[in-house]
Amino acid sequence: MLQELFGYLSYYIPELMCIVLMTTLLVAEASVKDEHGSRDKIYAYAIAVLGLTLIPLCQNMGKNPVHIFHNAITIDAFSTLVKIIMVLGTMGAIWLSRSSRDIYTNLKSEFAIMAVGVLIGGMLLASANNMLTVYLGIETLSILSYVMSSLKRDESTSTEAGMKYALYGGLSAGVALFGISHLYGTLGSIQFVEMMPKLAGLEGGRLAIVLISFLMFFVGIGYKISLFPFHMWTPDVYQGSPIPVTAFFSIVPKMAGLATLVRVSFVFFTDGSALTVSWIGLMLVISAMTMTVGNVTAIGQSSVKRLLAFSSIGHVGMMILGVVVLNEVGVQAILFYGISYLFMTLIAFYITSHLSDMYGTDTYDVFKGLIYKHPVMAIIMASVLFSLAGMPPFSGFIAKFNIFSVVIEKKYYGIAIVAAVNSVISLYYYMKLAKIMVFGKSDGEERVLGFTFQNQAVIVALFIPVVVLGIFWEQVMVLSGNASVFIK
Amino acid sequence: MNGILNWILWLPIIGMVGVLLTPKAKDNVVRMVTLVTTAITLILTVVLYMNFDTAEPGIQFAFKVPWIAQFHINYSLGIDGITLPMTFLNALLFFICTLSSWTVDKNVKGYFALLLMLQSTVFGVFFSLDFFLFYVYWEVMLLPMFFLIGVWGGENREYAAIKFFLYTFFGSIFMLVGIVALYYATGKSEDSFNIIALQGGRFTELTLDIFGSTVSFEKLFFWFMFLGFAVKVPVFPFHTWLPHAHVQAPTAVSVILAGVLLKMGTYGFLRIAFPIFPAAAVEYSTIIAVLGLISVIYGAFCAMAQDDVKKLVAYSSVSHMGFVMLGLSAMTIQGMNGAVLQMFNHGTSTAMMFLLIGILYERSHHRWIVKPDGSKGFGGLYTTLPKYSVVFIIGMFASLGLPGLSGFISEALIFLGIYQRFTTITVIAVVGLLIGAAYLLWMFKRMFFGEVNPECEEYEDMNAREIFYMVPLCICVVVFGIFPSPLLNVMKASVGQLVDLLAKFS
Repeated sequence: MLQELFGYLSYYIPELMCIVLMTTLLVAEASVKDEHGSRDKIYAYAIAVLGLTLIPLCQNMGKNPVHIFHNAITIDAFSTLVKIIMVLGTMGAIWLSRSSRDIYTNLKSEFAIMAVGVLIGGMLLASANNMLTVYLGIETLSILSYVMSSLKRDESTSTEAGMKYALYGGLSAGVALFGISHLYGTLGSIQFVEMMPKLAGLEGGRLAIVLISFLMFFVGIGYKISLFPFHMWTPDVYQGSPIPVTAFFSIVPKMAGLATLVRVSFVFFTDGSALTVSWIGLMLVISAMTMTVGNVTAIGQSSVKRLLAFSSIGHVGMMILGVVVLNEVGVQAILFYGISYLFMTLIAFYITSHLSDMYGTDTYDVFKGLIYKHPVMAIIMASVLFSLAGMPPFSGFIAKFNIFSVVIEKKYYGIAIVAAVNSVISLYYYMKLAKIMVFGKSDGEERVLGFTFQNQAVIVALFIPVVVLGIFWEQVMVLSGNASVFIK
Repeated sequence: MNGILNWILWLPIIGMVGVLLTPKAKDNVVRMVTLVTTAITLILTVVLYMNFDTAEPGIQFAFKVPWIAQFHINYSLGIDGITLPMTFLNALLFFICTLSSWTVDKNVKGYFALLLMLQSTVFGVFFSLDFFLFYVYWEVMLLPMFFLIGVWGGENREYAAIKFFLYTFFGSIFMLVGIVALYYATGKSEDSFNIIALQGGRFTELTLDIFGSTVSFEKLFFWFMFLGFAVKVPVFPFHTWLPHAHVQAPTAVSVILAGVLLKMGTYGFLRIAFPIFPAAAVEYSTIIAVLGLISVIYGAFCAMAQDDVKKLVAYSSVSHMGFVMLGLSAMTIQGMNGAVLQMFNHGTSTAMMFLLIGILYERSHHRWIVKPDGSKGFGGLYTTLPKYSVVFIIGMFASLGLPGLSGFISEALIFLGIYQRFTTITVIAVVGLLIGAAYLLWMFKRMFFGEVNPECEEYEDMNAREIFYMVPLCICVVVFGIFPSPLLNVMKASVGQLVDLLAKFS
C-alpha cells in the first residue's frame, strides 16, 4: 500500500517541486534582510526551480497514462502538456514582475509565491479525475488569485478588482459545489469513470436533476475561463490588477479551466445521447456569444489592458470550439492554440507593461509612434497583434486554421462563419493599435524606453516561436496530437 | 530549370535582407540594391519566357517539396500560360517602380524592404499550386501593403490602409473556410490542398445538409471563393476600398496595386474558382457578367465625376477590371483570351497613367483637375511639357482602347467572346467604352489644352530617369497593340484547356 503510494509519487514530482518551491520561497522572503540585493536571487531561484520542473514534466509526456491516489489524479500527456504551458506562463509572469513598476518592490516576492500557489491549483485542475479534485483545484487556484488581483493595494481599481473577483469567484465556486453535491447524490459517486456508466440508465426526474447539476458545475468553470454570460468580471479584474498579474491570469487559470472543461466533456458527452446533442447545441451558442461579445466590446476600449482582456474572451470563445467537436483533433487544436496563445499573450503584456511603466498609464497613446522610438519592439508588437488576429505567417493563423478545420470537419458551417466574421472584427481593433504604433507621430518628447537588454532578449526569444510555429508547425501539431490521445 | 521559380520567388527576399543590412544613411546603396534585385528578377522572368513550352497547356517548371506532411500541405510551385504574362508583368512593374521611387526620401530602407517583400509575396500568389501556400501568400501580401499605404501614403492614409486591409481580409477569411471545406470534401487525401488535382469538377454531385436543407457543395463554396476574389478585383459592390487605397497610396504602390494586385483577383477566378467549381461557374456566369457590366458602367460614370485625376484613374480601373470579368463570364476561347490579355494590358496602361500622375504630382503637389475652390488645377500642359504630353497621350489612348494600341485588342476579343453568350450585355458594355473615351478625353482637354495656367509654366519636363522607365511601358503598349501574338501564343493552350473544361458543364 505504502509502497504503491510512493510509486505514484514518481509521477507527481512536478507538483511536489512546486509545493517545495512555494514553501521555501515563503521562508526565504521572510528571512531576506537586504531588500534589493537578495530579491534578484529569489527570482533566479523561483525561475530556476520552475524551469527544473519542466524536466520531469517532459518525462511524463512520454509515459503511459496512469490514475494515481485512488483515481483522484490522472497523469497523462494531455494534463502534462497543459502543465508545461502553465509553468511557462508562470515563469514569464514572474520574470515580468521583476521589472514591472506596477507591483510595489516590497511585494514582488509575494507575487512569485502566490503565482506558484495558483500554478499548483492549476496543475491539480489539469489532472483532476474526480469531482472533488476539481473543486479543490478551483479553490486553490481562486483564493490566491483574489489576493493577487488586489496587489496594488492603495489603488481603488485594484481593490475593486480583488473584491469583484472574490465575490464572483466565491459565488461561482459555491454554485459549482452545489452542482457537484447533487451529482454525487444522484449518481452515488464522484469518480469520473464511475459516474459515466450510471448516467446512461437515468430517466425522468433524476435526469433533470443531473442536467441542472451539470449546468451548475459548468457555471463554475465558465466563470473561471470567462465564457459568456459569465464574463463580466474579466475586464474590471484585468484592468485593476497589476500588469504581471493580468498576464498571469490570462494564461494559467484559463488553461487550467479549459483542461477541466475538456476532460469533463470527454468523460460525459461522448456517447451521442440526447444529453450530448443538447450540450453541443448549448456550447455552440455560448461559443458564438463569447466570441462576438468579447470582440465587439473590445472595439470601443481605450485601455490596452482592457483591450487584451476582451480579446482574451474572444480567444476563449474560439478555443472552446475545439471542445464542442468532441474528438481528438479538437483537443489537438485547443492545445496548439494554447501554446501559440501563451507566447503571443506574454509578448503583448511585456511590451504593454514596459510602456505603461514609462508613461504611468495604459491608454493607446503610449504606443504612439513606437516605430520611431524602438523599431524592433514595434515590429514585434505589430506582428504579435497580427498573429492574434490570425494573419499568416504567424502562429495565430495556424491556431485559427486548426479550429476552423475541426469545426468544418464536423460540418458546423454556421459557427465557422461566425468565427470568420469574428476574426475580421478582431483584426479591426488589433489594427487600431498597430496603426497608432506605426503611423502615429510621436509627440516629440523622445524618452528612453525601459527596454533593458535582458528584457529585449526575453521578448525576442518569446517571439521566435510565434514565427516558427507559423511556418514549421508540424512538430508541435504532432506533440499536441499525442497529448490529445487520452483514455476516457 | 525546375528551380528557377524558387529563384524568382526568393530573390526579392534576399534583396530585402540586403536592404535591411545596409547601414543607415546609405540611401543610395539601398536604392541600388533594390534596383539590381528587381533587374535580375526581370531577367530571370525573360529566361523563363524563353524556356516556356507554349504547346503545353498544363503546369511547367513544377517544384514540389512536402511542407506539413501530416496535413498533406506541400510547398508546390508551377506556372502555366495564364501565369506567365502575370509573372512578367510583376517583374517589369517592380523594376519600373523602383526607378520611379528614387525620389522617396522618408525612411528609405523600410520603404524598399517592404517593396521587395511585396514583390515576393505577389510572385508567391501566382506560383502557388498548393491551396494552403496560396492562402498564406495571399494574406501575407496584405502586410507590406498595409505599411506602404499607411506610412508613405497621403493625408488620409490610415483610413485607406485599414479599409483596404479589412476588406481583403473579410473576403479571404471566407476563402479560408472554403479551403478547409475542400480539404474535408476530398477526404483529407494526398491531394487535398493540390489546386491542380482539385480542378475538373470533382464536386458537382456533392451535397451538404445545412440547418435541415440540402445545399449543393459546389454552389455554396463557389460563392465563398467568389467573395474572396471579388473583393480583390474589385467587382461592384465590393469596390469601395479601391478609390481610397489608390488615392492615398504613394505612386509606386498605386502602380503595383492597379497593375498587379487587382489581377490576383481575376487570376483567382481563372486558377481556382472556375476550374474547381466549373458547374457553378457556368450556372452563375450571368450573375458574374451582370456584376462585371455594372462595374464597367458604374466605374466609368464615377470616373467622369472625379476632380482628382488619380481618383479618376482609380475608378477607370474598376471599369477596366469589369471588362475582365465580362471576358471571364463569356467562357469562350475569345472571351477568356481577351480577359487574360486585358489583365496584362490594363497592367501596363494603368501603370503608365499612375506613373505619369505621380510625375506630375512631384512638380505640382496637387492632383486637382478642378480645384475645390472651382479654379482650374492645370491648363496648357501640352505647351509647357511636350515630352510628358506625348507619353501621356500614348498611355491615355491605350487606356481608352484606341485601335493600334494594346487596350483595343483585348477589349475587342472580350466583346467577340461575350457576344456569343450575352448579346444585350455586350451592347450595353460598348457604352462603357464610349464613356471611357469621354472621361479620359475630357480630362485631357481640361489639363493639357486651353490657357496655360501660370503655375504650370515653372514645371520641368520629364528627366532622363523618368523617360527611361516610361519607355518599356510605351513599348509594351504599342508592340502588343499591333502584334499581340507573343502573349496570345503563351496563354492559348492553357486558356483553351480551361474553356474545354467549362464547356463540359454548360
